Amino acid sequence: MSSRFPARFLALGLIAALCGCQRENRQDWNKPHARAVPATSPDTIFPGGAAVPPLDARAASFEGNAHVIARGQQLFATMNCSGCHSHGGGGMGPALMDDKWLYGGRIDQIAASIMEGRPNGMPSWRGKLTDQQMWQLAAYVRSLSGQVRKDAVSARADEVSNTPPQTQVKREPVLPADGPQ
Amino acid sequence: MTLRGAAWALLAILPGGCAGAQNALGGEGAEGSNFVQLFTVFMIVCAVMYVLITAGLLIALWRRRQPLTVEDRRHHETSSAIRPALIGWTALVVAGLTALTVASFFTDRSNAANSASPKLSLTVTANQWWWDVEYQSADASRTVHTANEIHLPVGVPAQVTLKSNDVIHSLWIPNLAGKQDLIPGRVTDIQFVPRKTGNYRGQCAEFCGIQHTLMALDVTVESKADFQRWYEAQLKPAPPPATPQQLAGYRYFATRECSSCHNIGGTPASGQIAPDLTHFASRRSIAAGTLPMTRANLARWVADPQAVKKGNNMPTIGMTDAEVDSVVSYLETLK
Amino acid sequence: MAMIALLAMGLVAAVLIWRFSRDRAFETGVTNYGESSAIKAVPAPAASPADDGNWTMPGKDYASTRFSGLKQIEPANVGKLGVAFTFSTGTTEGFEAPPLVVGPTMYVVSPWPNNVFALDLTKPGAPTKWTYEPKPAAAAKGVACCGPVNRGAVYSGGRLYMNLLDGHTVAVDASSGREIWRTKLADIQKGETITMAPLVADGKVLVGNSGGEMGVRGWLAALDAGSGKLAWKAYSTGPDSEALIGSDYRAPYSQDQGKDLGVKSWGPEQWKIGGGTVWGWISYDPELKLIYYGTSNPGPWNAEQRPGDNKWTAGVFARDIGTGQARWFYQSTPHDLFDHDDINEILLVDWPGRNGQRIPALIRPSRNGYFYVQDRRNGRILSVDPYAHINAYKGVDLNSGRLIPAAEKEPKEGRVVRNICPGPPGAKDWNPSAFSPITGLVYIPHLNICMDMGVKNANYIAGTPFVGADVKMYAGPGGNRGAFTAWDPVARRKVFEIKEDLPLWSPALATAGGLVFYGTMDGWFKAIDARNGKLLWQYKTGSGIIGQPISYRGPDGRQYIAVPSGVGGWAGAIVSADLDERDPTAALGFVNVTKDLKKRTTKGGTVYVFALPG
Repeated sequence: MSSRFPARFLALGLIAALCGCQRENRQDWNKPHARAVPATSPDTIFPGGAAVPPLDARAASFEGNAHVIARGQQLFATMNCSGCHSHGGGGMGPALMDDKWLYGGRIDQIAASIMEGRPNGMPSWRGKLTDQQMWQLAAYVRSLSGQVRKDAVSARADEVSNTPPQTQVKREPVLPADGPQ
Repeated sequence: MTLRGAAWALLAILPGGCAGAQNALGGEGAEGSNFVQLFTVFMIVCAVMYVLITAGLLIALWRRRQPLTVEDRRHHETSSAIRPALIGWTALVVAGLTALTVASFFTDRSNAANSASPKLSLTVTANQWWWDVEYQSADASRTVHTANEIHLPVGVPAQVTLKSNDVIHSLWIPNLAGKQDLIPGRVTDIQFVPRKTGNYRGQCAEFCGIQHTLMALDVTVESKADFQRWYEAQLKPAPPPATPQQLAGYRYFATRECSSCHNIGGTPASGQIAPDLTHFASRRSIAAGTLPMTRANLARWVADPQAVKKGNNMPTIGMTDAEVDSVVSYLETLK
Repeated sequence: MAMIALLAMGLVAAVLIWRFSRDRAFETGVTNYGESSAIKAVPAPAASPADDGNWTMPGKDYASTRFSGLKQIEPANVGKLGVAFTFSTGTTEGFEAPPLVVGPTMYVVSPWPNNVFALDLTKPGAPTKWTYEPKPAAAAKGVACCGPVNRGAVYSGGRLYMNLLDGHTVAVDASSGREIWRTKLADIQKGETITMAPLVADGKVLVGNSGGEMGVRGWLAALDAGSGKLAWKAYSTGPDSEALIGSDYRAPYSQDQGKDLGVKSWGPEQWKIGGGTVWGWISYDPELKLIYYGTSNPGPWNAEQRPGDNKWTAGVFARDIGTGQARWFYQSTPHDLFDHDDINEILLVDWPGRNGQRIPALIRPSRNGYFYVQDRRNGRILSVDPYAHINAYKGVDLNSGRLIPAAEKEPKEGRVVRNICPGPPGAKDWNPSAFSPITGLVYIPHLNICMDMGVKNANYIAGTPFVGADVKMYAGPGGNRGAFTAWDPVARRKVFEIKEDLPLWSPALATAGGLVFYGTMDGWFKAIDARNGKLLWQYKTGSGIIGQPISYRGPDGRQYIAVPSGVGGWAGAIVSADLDERDPTAALGFVNVTKDLKKRTTKGGTVYVFALPG
């Protein structure tokens, strides 16, 4: 063993550590309520000039996590979201890949829509999905309109090819809920 | 520990791997026993050849101990014994290889014959990290849907169609037969002709993700009568809950997260993407061979599946102890 | 050498891509295939009384002829047809219901929120007399597969009977708009809605549910017209006792005869979420006292999950209207693979038999692409012929009555099967055809759509879709997405056919004046000559037409033609629900074949009424 041995491994270790492993982190599996879906509002008008609460930093980090988005992609199919929303184009439910958001397009607003349901037909999934699963779905829904990092999305669909690969989806602007629909 | 001691310990462990529920040399199935016979033939032929070669080598080394004389180096007269020896050796090798080829051929024929006319037909679909098992029937209403277990009647050739819902898995029931891959987008198959009753263990044999190691399969080979009895029981829907605690568990199961994924026949819970639980309590293990089926293990699993089998697709919900107790009480009724 | 070969290959590839990727223009105009038969079928007399100038039910009569006996408007003067008045409903969902006209009042039924407007036809501009607002739940829109549509009300005995999207049936006093009774029949928690127009006959209101894509168990219920109480309910799956199959039942073919087939032809428990909903049309024979209707596809679309023939889905029932007991059933599409419901309109005609006798028959262009002629007393097939391009089936075995599928088109999990014709909306979807006793032709507005289909394991969660399929639809051979066919049911062939660019989702109207009316999805309302299909008049309405045109005699004695204009439904979802055309599988695959619709029409909800000048 030469004297360069420890140095070499140290360098490799540092590179590995720096190489965006936040993207690959798996979540706290045993803490289901660690990231409870908060109550949030899709509205933009608040009396007295108050504003929508700022987005929780931990919630925002879901969008950069490849595993969260991959699980969201699986759940989107198995929980029948694609039955109403197809692969982002909509059907019984509205399109999720465009810039129009009826009830808010921020990740916590999407998670709240899943949790509470919405009038006009979105079912409420409280008690049928865990909070963690709702975050995973919300992160995936965000990826449908290109909001998330391209190195965290999956590169292919699990079924017959439909929309362009997620890595090529261009980022749509996110109109607020009261934007012109 | 000395090297010698280690060698004896290794020898002691080895037979352990050759006995019991997951034994590649068990030969309890037709293909498995064919394999064992072939293995034996190979071992014998190769052992004989090995002994002869080693003996030859040792003899050559022994004779080589005498120093060479100048005459020996210059005059390499061919010994009169070399020619017949070489002919004999070639003949021995040919004979050995022929024996191996013929043995292989007949083994292959036997396997093909065994799988020629199956009487039982099942489909095994591999998921991460559990097995979906469906028994086909000409009468559609007599198909049986179960998970993580296979029952086979002894002596009856069974055809198993293999599919995968996600990544490549491999089905390996060592006592009965060899491995066969389950590949998404393709349909493969394997045949079993079990010859001895007993409980065996199957295993996923192709790395398929974080819980590949905890993806086992309980295989039960039983008499034809026992198999029929099991089959008829599987066709019945789940019994209704009897006690208040079971009722509470049933209500939780049917209206909360459980029914999003699981199916219990005869109840409103008809999820299709997780193991079918209609007769869950009659199985030997939980979560594809992860834990033996006991009430304590059930409670452990239902309360926190992520602690038991981290990364698997069943989420930890965060149920209260009372909820866990009632759900487990209900699940125990699903015999 | 290698370079030349590569170049050549590149050239060939470029030519092929150019050839097959550009939109191929198809020949427009009418294609004539020959004369119609001299001997004609006749609408069943008891089921089709003479025209009194009213339009009291969507099908015009119990035989579902959609034929108006009025003849003031005819080929010679139709060119002068102009707008008499219009009425805006204020809704912008798919507008399918025909306006009803009884005497001096027109009744307009809107899609969700299912409002009813009574218009006074005696006054200029047809002002509103009353409005009925039933306020069905908005959440029902989330479980309506193909738009929150309503296919119409029925007028009978001074009342209007109709269904609400959230699963209620109502009776409304026609003179005041006051609700008389409201009965809950369907449960939106399970994914059930009601979109069909009821049939009112023999003191009963017949109602069927929707939800074949939601894992719903299908049924047809009969309510007492006076009180709204349930008289009987016949399920489309399950044991004979619940499907009301008893000692009166005789199937025309052995495939449909047996005990508890509604259970035995499914995997265990699957019939409970198996579909077979009754969301389409019902016809009635007052002499035989039998109702005829079809059942929807089985659920899920992924057929691998539901082994067996899946009775009693995708077939036609004949039931006694008083008791609901089944007389016969014929399964047009056993173990359906492609969402080929069988709920299309069933026209009751008297059929010219071989020896000059008249056979009581029913004729129907089915979703699977075959035009069936059956004896309506017992269900036996008299003739069956393809009326559109089919490669998913090889034919119908006339001995066993069984449809013969093409094995290579069977969808399998984990792979995609391409070029399946007809696609999921079939050769024709719900929009009904019309029959003219004068020409003896059935006027069929329909589709020319094929699909690629991939199936996968569908999860069942009550109140959510239970489908398991990814579909992309596209135009079939010829490049036209729609076709209007005049079919001679006696000669068993086309007489003329008009190719349409867009899918045809509007019903047809035939008149004694010798005209046939239908609308296109970009809003053109057309009148063609009933004998040869020549386009005689057209008018561009404000939105695509998917609703039933009608003809009535106004209080002034003149003939009027009315049509609802408001695109939507399954075919028009890309416009009415503002879907994204970048996802070809959206709207269960329909978006791929209607990608250009947003450029050609917008949402609407207006009734147009036309008349001759003066």
